[in-house]
Amino acid sequence: MASFTPYTYIQCPCHDSTSQSRTADDAPPPTTTLPELSENDDDHAFDPRAHRSTFSLYPLEHLLYCDVCHQIRCPRCVTEELVTIYCPNCLFEVGTSSLKTEGNRLTSDYLHLNKSLTAANRTLTLDAHVAVSNARYVSAPWPSKLSKPPPDPTLLSADSATPIPPGPWVLTCSYCHWNSSEIGVKFDKPQGIFGQLQKLRYGEDQSKHVVSGDTSPTKTDSVPETNKARFAALKSFYGSQTVGANPGAGLSGLGDYGLNSPGALTRIMSIYSGNINGLKPKTKSSVMREADSPNEGFQLSDLDEGAAISQLRRDGWDGTVTGDQAKTQVEEGAQFADQLWPIPYLLRAKRSKRCPVCRHIISKPESKVSNTRWRIRLIANNSIPSISIKPLNPPPGSGLLKPLQPAHFLLTFKNPLFDDVKVTLATPATTPGRFASRVTVLCPEFQIDANPDNDMYLDDVLKDGEKERQRRRGDEGIHQAEAGKIWERGRNWVSIIVEVIPSSLRIEPPPAILVKDGDPEPDLSPLREDEDVLEIPMFVRLEWESEASHDQVGAATSREKDAKEKRELAYWCAIGIGRISQE
Amino acid sequence: MSRKQVKGEYIETDTGNKVARKAVLVGTQHIMLGGKTVIQAEVMIRGDLARTAQPSSTPSAAPSSNTAVAIGRYCFLSKGCCLRPPGRIYKGFVHSITQSLSPVNPLAPHAATITVVQSFTYLPLRLGDHVFVGEGTVVQAATVGSHVHIGQNVVVGEFAIIKDYVRVLDGTVVPPNMVIPSFSVVAGQPARVVGEVPEGGHEAFELRELYKTIGNNPQPLPV
Repeated sequence: MASFTPYTYIQCPCHDSTSQSRTADDAPPPTTTLPELSENDDDHAFDPRAHRSTFSLYPLEHLLYCDVCHQIRCPRCVTEELVTIYCPNCLFEVGTSSLKTEGNRLTSDYLHLNKSLTAANRTLTLDAHVAVSNARYVSAPWPSKLSKPPPDPTLLSADSATPIPPGPWVLTCSYCHWNSSEIGVKFDKPQGIFGQLQKLRYGEDQSKHVVSGDTSPTKTDSVPETNKARFAALKSFYGSQTVGANPGAGLSGLGDYGLNSPGALTRIMSIYSGNINGLKPKTKSSVMREADSPNEGFQLSDLDEGAAISQLRRDGWDGTVTGDQAKTQVEEGAQFADQLWPIPYLLRAKRSKRCPVCRHIISKPESKVSNTRWRIRLIANNSIPSISIKPLNPPPGSGLLKPLQPAHFLLTFKNPLFDDVKVTLATPATTPGRFASRVTVLCPEFQIDANPDNDMYLDDVLKDGEKERQRRRGDEGIHQAEAGKIWERGRNWVSIIVEVIPSSLRIEPPPAILVKDGDPEPDLSPLREDEDVLEIPMFVRLEWESEASHDQVGAATSREKDAKEKRELAYWCAIGIGRISQE
Repeated sequence: MSRKQVKGEYIETDTGNKVARKAVLVGTQHIMLGGKTVIQAEVMIRGDLARTAQPSSTPSAAPSSNTAVAIGRYCFLSKGCCLRPPGRIYKGFVHSITQSLSPVNPLAPHAATITVVQSFTYLPLRLGDHVFVGEGTVVQAATVGSHVHIGQNVVVGEFAIIKDYVRVLDGTVVPPNMVIPSFSVVAGQPARVVGEVPEGGHEAFELRELYKTIGNNPQPLPV
């Protein structure tokens, strides 16, 4: 409450295509509830407080810019592709093939350990989501160390001295000094930790629980015990059922090739049309049946929760897992703290991003894990002006806005483009929501000069002189907030003044004389979260002339070389100015 | 971070380092500055905690080449932060107690646990370029990459490794030995990865402009 940082969130245009009826095929979506929107779209002001708006507003840094479509792209509308998958702890790169067979956690910790053992202190990367019964904060991954459990805890870090001392080994947490001997987990050797853990959990018979990529029927004689294995068994069972019922048209093939392959399409067609055409009259010889035995993945639900209830009575709230722990230990299905189990790290991926419309790649990192460079990085920072906010006269005291007293704010627009940009701003006269504050942009139209070439030295030399000039110019005039005039101008930035009159946050019914018949009931509920934030919806329209893009090679050569192309970009943004004090 | 400061509060070196006169630099012969680095008042850098135990294979080198804290270019060490090389008990060769104890730091935390067959040593702390360290933060990492922002009152545990383009939020406790991959946002006690640095956020790690705002004739931040 005390501190408030002004912010600017920009709305991605992908919002329009879904919520308003501006779809490409001109067919109004059935969910259009406000038909007047489609008629005069220009009159519609954007409401940053609407529930949907939360999903389309982004800080400038999160936005990308497709330079083919000339449009802003947000993390929600781009399509992502995996470039590299790696372990976030040891930065070991995992191949896609092993990912398919072993899942999204690092299981092949042999390599993992080898790598870590060469490091200074034998950090083990089999990073436990460590389970501790007396501490609730331990559900997240952090480094745990493999060391021999010594009798004296002060010697804990002292023991992995000589090359490979005889076991047993334990996982330890370097944050809370928990170690896995508390839950009875000890290892004979410091390799293959994942396998040893599996063995400790499920016993010797690995086939019951370890899911390998193939779901061959040779394994179906064993009874699966984990959810994952049970799912695999069910999948293979139903796959074999469909194949048996309708040979050549089994759905099992779909999983392997995906729905995009032509083979899958013909299979689907034969499923749905095979009987009707009567080309191959189907024999109703085999009837599909449901899974009914444990080795097919069938499990009777245990409805007797007496044991769980009695444990809950005994251990109380502290004995249960936290929400975070339950979320990270989904496969383990832990309900109580003593059911938590060390699990390997979740892998992480580097991703490249494509424009959803033109399919051009707009962001692509280098594929190597250790390389932090980017091959393509078309960010909105480089294409649309940044807006920064500060109060003109910093108010003394709390920094909260006084209701019903005009306050002036300085909006500074900085142009990253190498062309002059004409900016037009528009705001509604009052902010939307229950507490309508008045907003006046004193200079809604201005031009920002081009971004000079980013020559560091030149920049440094010129900046000072220009600053001086700026100061002088500011001094000689009566520097006052004046309608239609910009406040200050720099090489590639302009600041303007916005005047706001914050509304009172008092919640009271409107005076009876102003209430007309048919008005909706006034909302007299108490102040909701962040309703005291003064947020201005602002429509920004940019116009500039830039070099013609040479998309089409043939067209570009025929045209004149320095032909200028007029560009235009318009978007809504939400500007958080400050909090209104509750008086 | 007061901008208006008395003339001569900082010592500015030829390589552009700006070191506050009130900074506490211990064992300066073991501290390497890459240049253009700002060290504010009350910053403590423990250069005295240099490596004491040399590997048995190589005879002990000249002490001057024994760097304890290496700092890259354009780093910014805010008021009251502390850089302290991490130390651990070194195994695998036998020394007597007198040699193994760090002579300059009798208060080494692990001194009590040292036994006859083991010795304690510090290992160097390396900071990359454009590393911001917030006020009151203690860094005992093994390596901090380039373009890293560490907030206020953060504790970075011993032998933690922070890769490039990482933002550690205020009040985080990074446990010892943790590895933080590139482009992560880290918070919490203990630290965990809570987010990712967006593509457009890379420039925010640049500290060139901030460097100019500090010194004996500070310049205002450009708009």
